[in-house]
Amino acid sequence: MASIMNSLYNMRLLDDLSQKDTFVHRLHPLVKLLATVVYLTVVVSFGRYEISSLLVFLFYPVLIFAFAEIPVVPILKRLFIIEPLIIGIGILNPIFDHQFITFYGIEFSRGWVTLFSIIIKSGLTVTSALLLVATTGMDKLSGAMRMLKIPRIFIMQLLLTYRYITVMMEEVARTLRAYSLRAPNQKGIHRSAWGSLAGQLILRTFDRAQRIYQSMCLRGYTGEYNIGRQSPMNLYDLLYLTVWCLFFIIARIYNIPFIIGSFVTGGI
Amino acid sequence: MSHHKLEVKDLNFMYPDGHKAINGISFCIHHGESVGIVGANGAGKSTLLMLIMGILFPTKGQVLIGDVKVTKSTLPMIRQRLGMVFQDPDDQLFMTTVYDDVAFGPRNYKLDEDEVHERVIEALELVGIAHLKDRAPFKLSGGEKRVAAMATVLSMQPDVLIMDEPTSSLDPKSRRRIMNILKGFDHTKIITSHDLDMIFDICHRVIVIKDGGIAADGITSEILSDSKLMDLCGLEVPLALQNCPCCRAKKS
Repeated sequence: MASIMNSLYNMRLLDDLSQKDTFVHRLHPLVKLLATVVYLTVVVSFGRYEISSLLVFLFYPVLIFAFAEIPVVPILKRLFIIEPLIIGIGILNPIFDHQFITFYGIEFSRGWVTLFSIIIKSGLTVTSALLLVATTGMDKLSGAMRMLKIPRIFIMQLLLTYRYITVMMEEVARTLRAYSLRAPNQKGIHRSAWGSLAGQLILRTFDRAQRIYQSMCLRGYTGEYNIGRQSPMNLYDLLYLTVWCLFFIIARIYNIPFIIGSFVTGGI
Repeated sequence: MSHHKLEVKDLNFMYPDGHKAINGISFCIHHGESVGIVGANGAGKSTLLMLIMGILFPTKGQVLIGDVKVTKSTLPMIRQRLGMVFQDPDDQLFMTTVYDDVAFGPRNYKLDEDEVHERVIEALELVGIAHLKDRAPFKLSGGEKRVAAMATVLSMQPDVLIMDEPTSSLDPKSRRRIMNILKGFDHTKIITSHDLDMIFDICHRVIVIKDGGIAADGITSEILSDSKLMDLCGLEVPLALQNCPCCRAKKS
């Protein structure tokens, strides 16, 4: 039960972090969204066997962590939640990939390289997406998406899911607490109660969602989610976007770690 | 000011399962009146509020705000003039900050952002929580949430304030604070509650609902002191009107 309450609190942590007032938080949401989109595109565009070129992309999340004063551990915890899925996708690569490579005299399947590359890519992309939410906030992010002319229906779906998921989890936590108090010796929930519990939860969630929707309608909601005036972009915003995009493109074209390595070891 | 008048004429409502929740209710509330709607659980108070707000539509009869009938086409205009505060403030606070929640209504009416800001600050100052404007609603206490929910409605500058159980599950100090805030409003007020002492304190008129119909409608002090009527409607005479619990002496 405590874990559910914790995860509920943790879910709201991103919202809390987005309220900070740092140089990164003050940047225009659209700029941060575009920089993240370019970053994601460039990271996923690398081939299966390219690992060394990817490492330089760690710079982006590391710098955002530092400048936006975002705590590293909570973000990494969220990243680890999805890692089992990522490993599940790539775990069979070492078995099915029959080609071998030699690294410092050790011969192993190239599948290990692809698995490792998938883990790095997922780590980078998920962290950057989490950092985007933690430095911008969902409301401002939706405003940025509206500026990009993304259809309203998708933005609404995203925002309402983000809002209602906490509402649903609160209902779950309350129901589970009531269950555990009357079943102190049980670990988890007995399967005989699964059906009725899930049914109850769905009905209660519908009920709550209905009331929230009604309260929105009573305050003039007609399907448009208004988030207020967006401040115009300034020179710093454009500079931020330009510098990052240039860095991503250069890092995509040239293998920077290799160049630095060669330079240091006298290869160039 | 006839445009602030709220009139309910022969209102009937039946839920899809056949339960008749409202049974021929009629009343008229004039500008500036504070009206308490009381009744036992399941008497039909919440259904009545939903019918007034146009969340539900009557099977028979009509609700008139000023001279405008509540229909689907008049809802945007009606809802700008009627503000409803829900019983559970969590239903009303769904944005990331109190400011955004209070700004939600005015922004939906496409007001200029400067005016939205003015209205938000005005509403927050009216209920005394301007210092909480940047806080996340889920981090507020029960009493703070309740006044924040009020501010979300006040920012729309409604003519009529409708409140469902405004003092339920509040500690005595928060309850008193809400009551003082409510007393300070010039709006027409419709308040449903089981807190009869609060109704006695705030409302000049009270409508007692029983089984979907009106059991009594009149001056609060007369109706709430009628112990027979109260008992018949599943209610009790407010503590403020009861005899002294120690010496049983009658209160003057």
